[in-house]
Amino acid sequence: MNPEPYLQLDRVIHEKGRLAIMSMLAASPELSFTELRGALAMTDGNLTTHIRALQETGYVSVAKSFQNRRPLTTCSLTAAGRKAFTEYINLLERIVQQNRPK
Amino acid sequence: METNWAAENLQTIRTLMERSAVYRRALAPIMLFAGVLGTAAAVVGLLFHLNSMRAFGTLWLGTAIVVVAGALLIARRQAFKDREPFWSPPTRRVAQALLPPLTAGMCLGVVFTSADLDGGFTVLLALLWVLFYGCGLHAAGFFAPRGVKLLGWSFIACACLLLLRAVITSSDLNLKAHWLMGFFFGGLHLAYGAYLYLTGKGKNAA
Repeated sequence: MNPEPYLQLDRVIHEKGRLAIMSMLAASPELSFTELRGALAMTDGNLTTHIRALQETGYVSVAKSFQNRRPLTTCSLTAAGRKAFTEYINLLERIVQQNRPK
Repeated sequence: METNWAAENLQTIRTLMERSAVYRRALAPIMLFAGVLGTAAAVVGLLFHLNSMRAFGTLWLGTAIVVVAGALLIARRQAFKDREPFWSPPTRRVAQALLPPLTAGMCLGVVFTSADLDGGFTVLLALLWVLFYGCGLHAAGFFAPRGVKLLGWSFIACACLLLLRAVITSSDLNLKAHWLMGFFFGGLHLAYGAYLYLTGKGKNAA
């Protein structure tokens, strides 16, 4: 078995919580903090930590605005984030293909 | 072992992506379009006194067909403009959710209209249409912004209350069917469409 694909997996995305955030953002142009928190059943602190990590890597951009006089935080994938996510999925598929019984 | 883990991760990603993809494409224009046509049909019905079951049913069934066709065209045009597939998974799910109650409502309308029942039954048909449409909106709301589900509930609740009132008081509903249709299919659509525009929630993504 070739261990190379596994070693190439992006460690930032590979974490369960961050992978969930990236997956949700990949399917939607943008999602609010509240939508993400509700869908993933994460605590505010946990979600903030993961989003900050993704933001620091340049995978996620965060925009703060106001809607009906209430603060609104929205997150979206950056071009680099989308590329990294696609590569991550391709690697997972390669691992599955590689280990599939012939 | 590693394969299982990778396959599970892929499955999780797929599930989360499906859950996240919410129908938003051209929702505000579609709501406004339906609202304008609904109001116009109510005005036509009232002005020309289309109160027999046949005239009432024909007018509103025709309006429904035009609204559905127009909504599909608006969504298609928006998808084309955004260079996205028209028949995207969220669009497909919303259509699947709407189809059974809309078909049932349409079928009921055809039966009432063909039977040419007494004009008093037009109110009953209008309320049943409101009820069916509310169920459709509620089902579609699982794959659309939360407001769609709330709109569905308001259709269902109002229709149920009016029907129950008629049963409890054993009285005629004493309502004009065109007013009912105009309020629900015209007014409520216009109100929700305006809300989407004003709050900037009418973003185009499906």
